[in-house]
Amino acid sequence: MSLFARVSGKFSRLLVVGALLSSVSASAVLAQETPVQGGTLVYLEQQAHTNLYPPAGGFYPNSGILNQITDKLTWQNPETLKNEPWIAQSWEINADATEYTFKLRDGVTFSDGTPLDAEAVAKNFDTFGLGNKELGYPVAEAINNYDHSEVIDPLTIKFVFKAPAPGFLQATSVIGSGLVAPSVLDQPYNELGDATKIIGSGPFVVESEVLGQSLNLKAREDYAWGPESLAHQGRAYLDAIQYVVTPEDSVRIGALLAGQADVIRQIQAYDEAQVEQQGYEILSAPTRGVNNNVSFRPENPLVADLKVRQALTAATNSEEIVSTLFSSHYPRATSVIASTASGYVDLSDKLAFDQDRAKALLDEAGWVPGADGIREKDGQKLELNIYESLPQPQNRATLQLLSQQWAQVGVKLNVLAGDSGSATTDNLDPLKTPLRPAMVGRADPDVIKSNFYPTNRDSLLQKGGTNPNATWEDPELNKLLLSIASEPDSDKRLKLTADVQAYLLDQAYVIPIFEEPQVFAGAPYVHDVTFDAVARPSFYNTWLSPR
Amino acid sequence: MTQAIVSRIGQALVVLLLAFTASFLLLQALPGDAILIKYQNPEMGLTPEQIAEIRVLYGADAPIWAQYGNTLWNFLQGSFGYSIQAGVPVNTLLATNLPPTLRLASLALVLAILLAFAIAFAATLAPFRWLRNALASLPALMISVPVFWLGIMLIQIFSFRLRLVPIINPNEFQALILPVLTLALPIAAPLAQILIRSLDEVEAQPFVAVARAKGATRKGVLWRHVLRNALLPVLTIAGLLFGELLAGAVVTETVFGINGLGRITEQAVSNQDTAVLQAIVILAAGGFILINLLVDLAAPLIDPRLKRTVGALA
Repeated sequence: MSLFARVSGKFSRLLVVGALLSSVSASAVLAQETPVQGGTLVYLEQQAHTNLYPPAGGFYPNSGILNQITDKLTWQNPETLKNEPWIAQSWEINADATEYTFKLRDGVTFSDGTPLDAEAVAKNFDTFGLGNKELGYPVAEAINNYDHSEVIDPLTIKFVFKAPAPGFLQATSVIGSGLVAPSVLDQPYNELGDATKIIGSGPFVVESEVLGQSLNLKAREDYAWGPESLAHQGRAYLDAIQYVVTPEDSVRIGALLAGQADVIRQIQAYDEAQVEQQGYEILSAPTRGVNNNVSFRPENPLVADLKVRQALTAATNSEEIVSTLFSSHYPRATSVIASTASGYVDLSDKLAFDQDRAKALLDEAGWVPGADGIREKDGQKLELNIYESLPQPQNRATLQLLSQQWAQVGVKLNVLAGDSGSATTDNLDPLKTPLRPAMVGRADPDVIKSNFYPTNRDSLLQKGGTNPNATWEDPELNKLLLSIASEPDSDKRLKLTADVQAYLLDQAYVIPIFEEPQVFAGAPYVHDVTFDAVARPSFYNTWLSPR
Repeated sequence: MTQAIVSRIGQALVVLLLAFTASFLLLQALPGDAILIKYQNPEMGLTPEQIAEIRVLYGADAPIWAQYGNTLWNFLQGSFGYSIQAGVPVNTLLATNLPPTLRLASLALVLAILLAFAIAFAATLAPFRWLRNALASLPALMISVPVFWLGIMLIQIFSFRLRLVPIINPNEFQALILPVLTLALPIAAPLAQILIRSLDEVEAQPFVAVARAKGATRKGVLWRHVLRNALLPVLTIAGLLFGELLAGAVVTETVFGINGLGRITEQAVSNQDTAVLQAIVILAAGGFILINLLVDLAAPLIDPRLKRTVGALA
């Protein structure tokens, strides 16, 4: 009897578990196969959007909106990082990457009814590539060497470049290359902070906004041109998306957990556990670009010596920073660019943490510990300043921990928090700021040039860049960077990308710390929030299951 | 009387011009400016030449006196320029943000006054000494609570735990409850403090004893004679609290994520968005002038003795 009972008990438990498992997997399959149409997604954003001119879309709040209301010529598959057809059905690139010809999809219209044809695409890229001085449009960062466009027929457009532009195909897929109706680009740049003026061809259109507080998007009923590789082509599943600006971290998380919001952006690592414990999902996406780092300004005599920079690299324990301050969504950096970026090579041996080596290098460089433990040379202390960077996650804490690590080898790092005016001005002066935190997200080898080249972000403050008084430059580095931006052969380009990563670390110009993700959280009933190659959310496929 | 008003308007214009000039000079003296902050941002990836072109476009390359003249001339015509950060005209920004702040601030002021009176009367009339003492020390507690903490606590308790009012997508009434309470408590505290003290002082005066001796009840004397005499200092303080309201709105609006002047002030300060800040300074100065004028006009209604001084001015 007892035996029978025990056996049958086990059996019935097994049955229950089995039934549970099969129902779970069945519902998961069902869930994946039948998205439900309808509903409004409430999305809490940390900051208000600013100017919505597409090339200004790098700012996260802007890209969260632009990604829903604009389409791009090509779609970069976030898994393979290959460019696939979207508004452009096919394309041809000449051998030296100076001419690109795109065949456009027929029947695509902007939400005001005007056709998305070659004329419209020409107007967009002429503005992105050349700017518009009268109306105040700046040039887009992602587009290099642009010369002009030629409309061949209503559905064929050719772009001509002054010099090889191998990064252009990828540039047609980035958030900054969203296509807008030509009439948008006839308005003064200064008025494009008004979202209702941005007319795109995307799956959602702007319905209304309360400036600085909220924005409502509604699905476009006649949308029928999703990226070719997606099964989903027609209108979005959601009826509407509501963006609510909620600056306070605790209010965003509280509202999500209390059921007042569906998806929120920007969760700090220390809040992740609280969200996961309650069955909510952390959605983390890599930005696939230049890692979160501190960059040196070699013009400053304190860090002009390669040995000092190498010593500080060896004194940096990025493992400790990641494990103390961050979570599993923040992988430790193993090169200048992220392991998910194109052209990545593992250079972790150049970034090894070794305090003895750091001390030995500093001794060799002539810096000897003073009475207070800080190293000195010729009566000068090895004391460096750095401003925290507000957009980067927990940057202040990161730099303070770095400061403690460097103190152990006798280097003082002062972490400054100033008003943004002082920070911006001081960051242009290498004598005031021998170091600066930086990161860039873009899934193309061009991203390295973006960060370091003097006429781009100029992280090292070279001659000919943002600091008008600069005298220092590294011509070899710049040559390498330029060659990445203009090498048409993609294998050679990846080889150059590997070379430049090694060069930057051999010269110890930059200390990479971690691969920066964008972290979102969603309610359990929110499905299929997807991210583009640089962690910008797309709600085209998103749907809500009944709660 | 007309002469008095004309001279008040003249004074007001001088004050506005001084406020404009002082804020212009101070903002110019700060390191960096809005254009630098926005366009030097590595996200934009612009070259120094491109930034210089943008500077020309905004007229920010002109000598400082020319910029001063231009800005003043535009202000006189009611054009406040563009917000560099938000990418919209400042007029649009003000039109969206002024009404919600006015509503929030005026409701908070009304609630604060009601609370202050309730506390002051309770502290004067409550039955036991210990209760009166406890009530009299309430304002000190209220004034010591930081506004942002109060706001977050109210949200955590009433919205997230008890789920009484939503913070996201509330209706118009729900949207006001917690913010108005957050803003009103710290404003009510000094009002209540002054009122309690001033009620005490007036009650100790001989005419109160006379009124009581004639047989009036304590409550009656308090209402009819003491309150009116005790109100004057409260009114003066209420005029000054306008500044507190604006400062409180900055925190309240940020915590609750509602738009308004406070929120755009905070953003404009961190981005040195000069055009927005100048417009806000002028607006705030105008508000101060108006409120103080109202206080001065209302004072003689409470204390008829003041009518003579106003008359003497004229």
